[in-house]
Amino acid sequence: MESHAIVADRLVKTYGNLVAVSDVSFSIGRGETFALLGPNGAGKTTTIKMLSTLTKPSSGDALVGGYSVVREPLKVRRLIGLVPQDLTADDEMTGWENVLVSARLYGIRGKKAEEEAKRVLELLGLWEHRDRRVATYSGGMRRKLEIAMSLVHSPEILFLDEPTLGLDVQSRRHLWDYVFMLKRQGVTIMLTTHYMEEAEHLSDRVAIIDHGRIVAEGAPEELKSRIRGDRIHVELADPREADKVVSALNELLGPSSVEPASGGQVVVISVQEASSVLPDIIRALTGYRVKSVNVVKPNLEEVFLELTGRSLREESMDPARFRLHLRRLR
Amino acid sequence: MLYETLVLLRREVVKWVNRRPVLVISIVTPLFWILLFGKSFNLLRLISLEAPPFPAPLAEAFQRYVSSLLVELFGTLDYFTYVTSGILVVFALFQSMFSGVSVVFDKRLGYLTRLLVAPIPRGSIFLAKVGGTLFRVTVLSAVLLLIADMAGFRFKEGISIIDLLGAWIVVLLVASGFTSIFSSIAFHINNQEVLFALANLVNLPLMFTSSAIFPVEQMPEWLRSIAVLNPLTYAADLTRYFLVGKEIGDPITGLAVLLVFASASLLAGYHVSVKGMEKD
Ligand SMILES: Nc1ncnc2c1ncn2[C@@H]1O[C@H](COP(=O)(O)OP(=O)(O)OP(=O)(O)O)[C@@H](O)[C@H]1O
Ligand SMILES: [Mg+2]
Repeated sequence: MESHAIVADRLVKTYGNLVAVSDVSFSIGRGETFALLGPNGAGKTTTIKMLSTLTKPSSGDALVGGYSVVREPLKVRRLIGLVPQDLTADDEMTGWENVLVSARLYGIRGKKAEEEAKRVLELLGLWEHRDRRVATYSGGMRRKLEIAMSLVHSPEILFLDEPTLGLDVQSRRHLWDYVFMLKRQGVTIMLTTHYMEEAEHLSDRVAIIDHGRIVAEGAPEELKSRIRGDRIHVELADPREADKVVSALNELLGPSSVEPASGGQVVVISVQEASSVLPDIIRALTGYRVKSVNVVKPNLEEVFLELTGRSLREESMDPARFRLHLRRLR
Repeated sequence: MLYETLVLLRREVVKWVNRRPVLVISIVTPLFWILLFGKSFNLLRLISLEAPPFPAPLAEAFQRYVSSLLVELFGTLDYFTYVTSGILVVFALFQSMFSGVSVVFDKRLGYLTRLLVAPIPRGSIFLAKVGGTLFRVTVLSAVLLLIADMAGFRFKEGISIIDLLGAWIVVLLVASGFTSIFSSIAFHINNQEVLFALANLVNLPLMFTSSAIFPVEQMPEWLRSIAVLNPLTYAADLTRYFLVGKEIGDPITGLAVLLVFASASLLAGYHVSVKGMEKD
């Protein structure tokens, strides 16, 4: 037990009839970075909420830092930091005041609280903006402030729920650097994301979650190696042609290796070696309105598609939707 | 618990002081009310002594008569003094409602999430809201009395610090009781409109069925029976007793009623609020 920072044991969360998280178990070693990868509504936030004691599991339990989230939530709270998916800073106060209150809530007193607040504000590059009201911060600055507020008490275990949502490429890189830095310091990190590059790049281990269930778990390389051969994606202009395309390709390649995905917009072909069959495939496709044909090297996106029959990307949130999402919260 | 409550209370105070326009409006509103209510109803002004329409002795006698009538009616020499001493507790009620609204905003803006994941007793979140109201009503009441004094408020003869403390405690009891009620509701809802609707439903009736702006003795029978159940009646009578010297039989009963009201609301509000925080 002691070697594990987090052990989730058959976590279930239901909201009325809706099963948000269903029988989720995994364990995360100390100092490990673990990513929960899944589309919108998969149950990532709900899992994080249970692990961070914000909501009680309907059944099951988890040990975080050796303490039960059900029976010893206060002890768990002392050890963890949480950067929630939605913003939490008080926008009527300054960045400085926000971080300082956070420090004090973790029992850091007097001068020490100010030192720690200064440390994290400098770390996140917000020091010169500390006296501005948070309402005047940009979206990226607000995300950074959330992280500063969650790090001020130097937690052993850090939860990051979609930390890079709405960030531009450069800010995302910066955030990844912070994650690596925390990892070097021995912090256990659990993050959720629906960007598979992010999961692949940052984490030692990934669990893929869909409809509240973990469908695969392992190191990114390990998950990718489950996919043998190549994948060819045929993007169709008219999804109604999908059935005909599938049967035409089945005739050519035999059954079982051709699957429609994304509601017929894409047909996925699994082959040993793409280069040798590609000419035949292209010939078989003449007469259909094809937008593109791509040979795809296996990545987590492929793993997800293989396991769920849906693409991660089509369901992911772009920055514009993210902003809408934020506005709705107001 | 105390330390965490103080940390959060400090946030309440910082936010209130930072919000200049709200601060100004909070002070102007009660002034506006008492000047409007109080001064426009000032019956004594009807018979000014400066240009009496009748012979001076007659005017004086008449004024003495009206004064005694007023004292009998309101227990104070003028309506301005009457209503000012009552409005103190009405504004404690209003400030309590604002506390409830701020709970809903903390929820909606996500700040509550930040507090719930911190290793603090959840009760401190509730207590800080109560403390915030106590701070605000203390400042507002002091400012109100200061300005009322300049506008001709008639404090009782030989008013002492004990009287002022007494009135202060009455206002604090009202604020603790109502803040407990409003915030415990607020911890269970997600929409500030609900709270506003609720406040509309109860605030004005509470005010008009109390002795805050009109004497209970002058009310029709049915209204009077409601008024004696209203904590604001006891509170307004007590502030008037302490500040103006109005005769009210027995101040201890009133204080006891308020004390029971405040502690019962605090106790229930504490538990109901913490329950609300645990909800999904
Ligand atoms: N408080 C709640 N009440 C009712 N249903 C909820 C609640 N919270 C979450 N759900 C539902 O549970 C499911 C999982 O939601 P969750 O927020 O965990 O998904 P997620 O993986 O974090 O998605 P996203 O990528 O959009 O953040 C969804 O269907 C959601 O509608
Ligand atoms: Mg989420």
